[in-house]
Amino acid sequence: MTTTIQPRLTKVFRFVRSSYADGVAELAYAFDDGEELVERIRFPNAPAVPAGRAAAFDAALKLLHLIAGISYYKAGVPPKIEVADGPLDDATAELLDQLYLHGLAEFAYRNGLDLRGHIAFPRGGTAPAVAALDLPKRTLVPIGGGKDSLVAVEAIKSIGGEPTAVWVGNSALIAACAERTGLPTLNIQRELAPALFELNRLGAWNGHIPVTAVNSAILVVAAILYGYDSIAFANERSASAATLEYDGQQVNHQWSKGYAFEQLLGNWLHTHVASDLDYCSLLRPYSELAITRAFAKLTPYFDVFSSCNRNFRLLGPKPVDRWCGQCPKCHFVFLALAPFLPKPRLLAIFGRNLLDDEGQAAGFDALLEYQDHKPFECVGEGAEARAAMYALSQRPEWQEDALVARFRSEILPQLDASQLALEPWLEPSSEHRVPARLQAALAAIGG
Amino acid sequence: MKFGGTSVATLPRWQNIRELVASRRAEGARVLVVVSALTGITDALKQLCGEGGQDKRRAAAGAIAQRHYDLLEHMQLALPDTLGERLGELARLAEDGPTARGELAWQAQVQAQGELMSSALGAAFLSHSGLPTQWLDARDCLAAVALPNQNERTRLLSAMVEAKPDPALNARLAALGEVFITQGFIARETHGRTVLLGRGGSDTSAAYFGALLKAQRVEIWTDVAGMFTANPRQVPGARLLQRLDYEEAQEIASTGAKVLHPRCLSPLREPRVPLLIKDTNRPELDGTVIGPEVRAHAPSVKAISARKGITLVSMESVGMWQQVGFLADVFAHFKQHGLSVDLIGSAETNVTVSLDPTENLLDSDAIAALASDLAKVCRVKVIAPCAAITLVGRGMRSLLHTLSGVLAEFGQLRVHMISQSSNNLNLTFVVDEEVVDALLPHLHDLLIAAGALRTDDSALFGPSWQTLYGSGETVGAVPAWWRQSQRQRLLELATETTPRYVYHLPTVRQQARELKSLAAVDRLHYAVKANTHPAILQALAAEGFAFECVSPGELEAVSAIVPEATPLLFTPNFAPREDYALALATRATITLDALHPLEHWGELFRGREIVLRVDLGRGLGHHEKVRTGGSASKFGLPLDQLAAFLQLADTHGVIVRGLHAHLGSGVLDVAHWGEVYVQLASLAERIASVVLLNIGGGLGVPAHPGEAALDVAELDRVLNEVKAVYPQYQLWMEPGRYLVADAGVLLARVTQQKHKAGFRYLGIDTGMNSLIRPALYDAWHEIVNLGRLDEPATALYQVVGPICESGDVLGTDRRLPEAQEGDVMLIAQAGAYGKVMSSHYNLRDEADEVVIDA
Repeated sequence: MTTTIQPRLTKVFRFVRSSYADGVAELAYAFDDGEELVERIRFPNAPAVPAGRAAAFDAALKLLHLIAGISYYKAGVPPKIEVADGPLDDATAELLDQLYLHGLAEFAYRNGLDLRGHIAFPRGGTAPAVAALDLPKRTLVPIGGGKDSLVAVEAIKSIGGEPTAVWVGNSALIAACAERTGLPTLNIQRELAPALFELNRLGAWNGHIPVTAVNSAILVVAAILYGYDSIAFANERSASAATLEYDGQQVNHQWSKGYAFEQLLGNWLHTHVASDLDYCSLLRPYSELAITRAFAKLTPYFDVFSSCNRNFRLLGPKPVDRWCGQCPKCHFVFLALAPFLPKPRLLAIFGRNLLDDEGQAAGFDALLEYQDHKPFECVGEGAEARAAMYALSQRPEWQEDALVARFRSEILPQLDASQLALEPWLEPSSEHRVPARLQAALAAIGG
Repeated sequence: MKFGGTSVATLPRWQNIRELVASRRAEGARVLVVVSALTGITDALKQLCGEGGQDKRRAAAGAIAQRHYDLLEHMQLALPDTLGERLGELARLAEDGPTARGELAWQAQVQAQGELMSSALGAAFLSHSGLPTQWLDARDCLAAVALPNQNERTRLLSAMVEAKPDPALNARLAALGEVFITQGFIARETHGRTVLLGRGGSDTSAAYFGALLKAQRVEIWTDVAGMFTANPRQVPGARLLQRLDYEEAQEIASTGAKVLHPRCLSPLREPRVPLLIKDTNRPELDGTVIGPEVRAHAPSVKAISARKGITLVSMESVGMWQQVGFLADVFAHFKQHGLSVDLIGSAETNVTVSLDPTENLLDSDAIAALASDLAKVCRVKVIAPCAAITLVGRGMRSLLHTLSGVLAEFGQLRVHMISQSSNNLNLTFVVDEEVVDALLPHLHDLLIAAGALRTDDSALFGPSWQTLYGSGETVGAVPAWWRQSQRQRLLELATETTPRYVYHLPTVRQQARELKSLAAVDRLHYAVKANTHPAILQALAAEGFAFECVSPGELEAVSAIVPEATPLLFTPNFAPREDYALALATRATITLDALHPLEHWGELFRGREIVLRVDLGRGLGHHEKVRTGGSASKFGLPLDQLAAFLQLADTHGVIVRGLHAHLGSGVLDVAHWGEVYVQLASLAERIASVVLLNIGGGLGVPAHPGEAALDVAELDRVLNEVKAVYPQYQLWMEPGRYLVADAGVLLARVTQQKHKAGFRYLGIDTGMNSLIRPALYDAWHEIVNLGRLDEPATALYQVVGPICESGDVLGTDRRLPEAQEGDVMLIAQAGAYGKVMSSHYNLRDEADEVVIDA
C-alpha cells in the first residue's frame, strides 16, 4: 500500500464501480481517498447475458455490489456512505439500511459499537419498472454441507423440481455433499479484495457479517445469467429468533437467514429485477427438529455431511475429520438428531457420544439457555433444545448418559414438563414465501 | 492353492499363477487351484441382481461378459466352450429374472457365475500354456448341510459344508489328472440347488477341499505375506507372524485381521492340514504357516488388534445378585430384539455386554426397544462408539506380569470393560473408539519394549510390514558416521580422555539440508535447547536457520554467535516478567502461552506483535514427559481461553501475528503435523491479524534398529496439501533433536564388570550425570563397543554408570562382545538433550565436548 490508512479512523465508505465481463464480476470499493478494494466473483462456464435479461442483470449486479460491500464497510464503519453512480431509490436504500444495521448487529455488539442512526445509504433516485422474464422453471439450491440444505435438495428432487446444487467458494466438504446429491452442480468462486487482509493487519474492525445476504445476491446474478426462476434457501423458522437483546436492540446472529430479510429481498427482486424471479426458503415453516427428523431419513448423506462450524478444508475419512465435537453446531445437531436416529447410528456419525461427556456440560447448557444466553451460532431455539433433551431423558437408552442424567436431576425439576413436548415442534407453520411451483416440496419435508 | 479376485484379473497375474502351480508340480505335488471371480465381478453380479428391469440386467450381463472377452483377448485365446456355456447361462439368467426360480435361488445362481467363468477361463489358459488342467465343478464336491438355525436366505447365500476326508474323491481325481481348477464360494445343497458360502467364501472353499482331500497343505495366495502382529495400516511396524496354531490364528482373524476369514480354519483343524498364507507378488517371502503343532516357545503375545463400532450395554441392578434366572431373562431380551452378544463382563451387580455393528443395530429401533425392556429390571446404559482392543497369544494369563506398562497406558483411558476367556488366548479391553488410531501403534511398541511380544524370537516373528512393503528408508541403510569413517578418530579421542561428547558437523548439515527440502515450510528455527554448542549454532546459522530460544540465557548464547540479521524466536514457559522485558529489547519474536502476561503486564506488550501458543487438547510423543500438548501438560493456552486472550490483546493493543502449537517430541507419523497445521489454520481464520503458523518440532529420530525414519518427502507432501488450501499463512517449524541427535555420540570407557542374580553388569565411567535421557524418558540409545565392532556379540549386558542411583542404567539387555576394562564404549544419538541436560551430580566431572568437521 502506498498510503497507510487507519481503518477505524476513515470518514467515507465509497461504492466505486461494478462491472461484469466473461464470467467475472468486479466490485470496487474504497475508504476516503484510499486505494480501491476490488472483489472478484467468478461464474463458471458463463453464457453471454441474454439480451432480454440485460436490464435485470445490471440491476442484480448493482445489488450484489451494494450487498457485498458489507465485508469492506465493516472494516472502518465510517459515518458516511457514498455511491458513485448516484443515489438509490427508496426501496433499495431501505433494503440496504436494514441489512447493514441488522446484519452487523452482532458485529457491533461484539465490538462495543452502536450503529443505530449511523448507516444511511443515499436516497432519492427513481425505481425502475420491471416485468416478467419468462425464466426457465428450475431452481438454484445453495448447499452448505450441513443437513438443512440436503433436506431441501431431497425435497425438491422428490417433486421433480429441477434443482441445481450451487455453492460459493472452495469447500471439499460441500463438494463431497454436492456430488452425493447426484444433481447438476454450480460452484461460484468469490475472491475477497486482497487489500482487505492488509486493512485487517492495520487494525480494521472485525467480526461477523451476514454472509447469507452476500451469497443470496451472488445467486440472484447467477439466476439471471444462467436462467433460473427461483432460488430456494434452506433457512428454518428459528433463524428469525434473536440471539439476544442488547441495549434495546435485537441481535440475531442469523439475521440474513431470517424471514424479515427473506421478505425484504424477495419483494425487492419482484420490483427491481424480474417479477418472476422468486427468492425463498423452503424450510421456513419448519423448526430445526422437524428438519432433523426429515434428515434422519437421508442415510446416504450420513458419512459426508457436517454442520460443524470449524472450517474443515481438508477432509478425512473419520468422524473427527468432520465434527469437532466442541462447537455449538456439533452440540445442537447431535442433540436434535438424537430423538430421530437409533443411538448407535448417531454415535457412528459423530464418532463419540457428546452427551456422555461431562466436559461438554457448559456447551449444552448454552443450547438449553440454562445459565447462559443462546450462543452466537446458527442453532435452534432454546425451547427446541430442551424438548429434544427432554425426549432423550425419557428414553432408557439415553437416560444414563452423563449429561442426560444431569438434565434429569438438575435442570428438569426447574422446568414445566408440559412445555417440553417434541410433537408441537414437528408441526409446520404457515409462514413462508415458497412459490406455487415448489409448494409440493414443502409437504415432502413435513411428511 | 487358492487365488483371489485381483490375482485372476489380468494376464500377468495368470502367468504368475502358472509359474506357481508349475513349481508345486515340480515338487511332485498334485495341485488343485481354487479361484475367486475376477475382481469386481461378484459386485457387478450382485448389482445385476438388484436391477429391476430386464434391459438393465441384460446390459449388466453384457458388461460382465465383456470383461472376460477382454482378458481372453490379452491371453490370445479363443473363447473356450466351457466359458461360452457360462456366458450363455448368465445371459439366460439375466433374461429370465428371479421369478422362475425364486428370488434367493436365482441370486445364488447368478452370483455363482463369477467363479464358474473365472475357473473356465483359467483352465483354458493353463492348459494352453502347457499345463494340462482339468476343470472341476466345485458343486459336485462340496455338499452344503442344512443346519437348524438357518433360514432360506442363510441356507442359500451363506451355506455351510461339512468337509470330512473323502478318499473316494481323491481316487476319482487321481484318475483324471495332476492339475485341477475349481471355484471358490459355491456349493450345492441337498435339493441340487446352487448355494453360496458367504463372506470369505473362497478361502473357506479352499479349506473344505483341503479337508476333503486331506491335502498336504492349503495355500492361500493373496496380496500380503500373511498375518501380522497388528493391522499394518494402523501399525506400519507390525511384524509378520511366521507360525501360528489354528486357535491363535482363528482368534486373530476373528478380532480384526482381514487376510483370512476365521471360518476357513475350523475345517482344517481335525484332519490337521496346515494352511500357508503367501504373497502372490512376493513368493520368496516366508508367509504365515498355520498348523496344529505348538512347538516349545516362550509364551508371547502374538498380535494386537482393534475392532471399531462396538456398542456396549451396561446393566446395573442388585436384583441379579444370587437370583436364579435373572441373566437368562436379560439375555432373552437380546435374542428377542435380534441382537447378538459378543463379549461379556460381569460383577455381582453389573453385567456389561458388547454388540457388534450390525445393520440391525444401526438402522432399527432394536437398541431403543431393548433398553426399554431392560429398564424394567435394571438400570441400563448404552455406551458407544467403542472399540475392542484385543491381545492374542496362547497362555495369555502367564504373560500378565509383563504387561504392566501396557496396563498403565490403559489406566489413562476410559476402559469400559475387560474380558478374558477361559481358553486363555486373548485379553480384550473395550475403550472409546476415538482413541484407538493413536493408541494402537503405541501399544504395539510398548508390548515389544515390555518383552511381551517376543520379536526377538525369529522362529515366530518375521520382518516388519514397513521393511517388507514400506517405502521409507530404514535405519542402518547408511551406516552411521561413527561406525566407519570416523571410528579410528573417535578411538583416539577416547584415549585422550573420557567421558566426552563428540559432535559431527557434516551430519548436522546433512540433517539441516534434509529439512530445508521441505518446500512448504517458510522458516525453520533450530530449537537450541537440544544442543547449544557454538559450533553447532554456527553451522546451522550458515545453513540459513533461524533460532528458537526459551530463556534469556539461550538468547544471549545465540546472539553471541549468529549474525545480526538472523531471526530469533523466544518461546518461554512460566517465565518471570523480567524475561519478557529483556526479550522485548531484542529482535526476538515473542510467544505467549497464558493469559497471565497480558492480564498483569499487558502494557509491557503494547503495540507489539506476538505469537500465541495454544493447546489443541491432546499430546503426542514417545514418552509421557515429552508430551507438551494435552490437558495434562503445562504448555499452551487452552482453547476455551482464546476469546479472553484476544480481548486482552485488543485492550493492550497487542497484535497476534501467529499461532503456535507443539504437541510433543519423537513423533514419526507425518500425518500428525498435517493435523496440527490444519487445526491452527482453521483457528487462525477467525483471527484476522494472524499471518503465520508455527507447527513446532518434535520430528522423530528412530532409535531402534529396523524402525522407519521420518519420511521427509511425505511430510512435505502433507504440509503442501494443507498449504494449498491455506496459502495466506506463512509456515514455521522449530525442529531441535532431529538436527543434532544423530550428530553426537558420548564416549566412555569400561570400568568394572559384575555378575549378579543372573545379570551381567558392564560399568562405564559416566552415566545419568552425562546422559539422563534413558533414566528420565526410558529413551533407548544404541550402545556399541567401539574397539570391538567386528567381534561377535555373545554377552548380554546391563550397561550402567557410576552414579549412586539404581536408575543409573544406560541400556538394558544389550547384546555386545565380551568387554575388557578400558574398552571404549560409544553411546549413539547423544547429540540432542545430552550435554545440555548433564549435571555435576555426585560431583563427578562433566563430559567435555569435541567437534569434528570433516
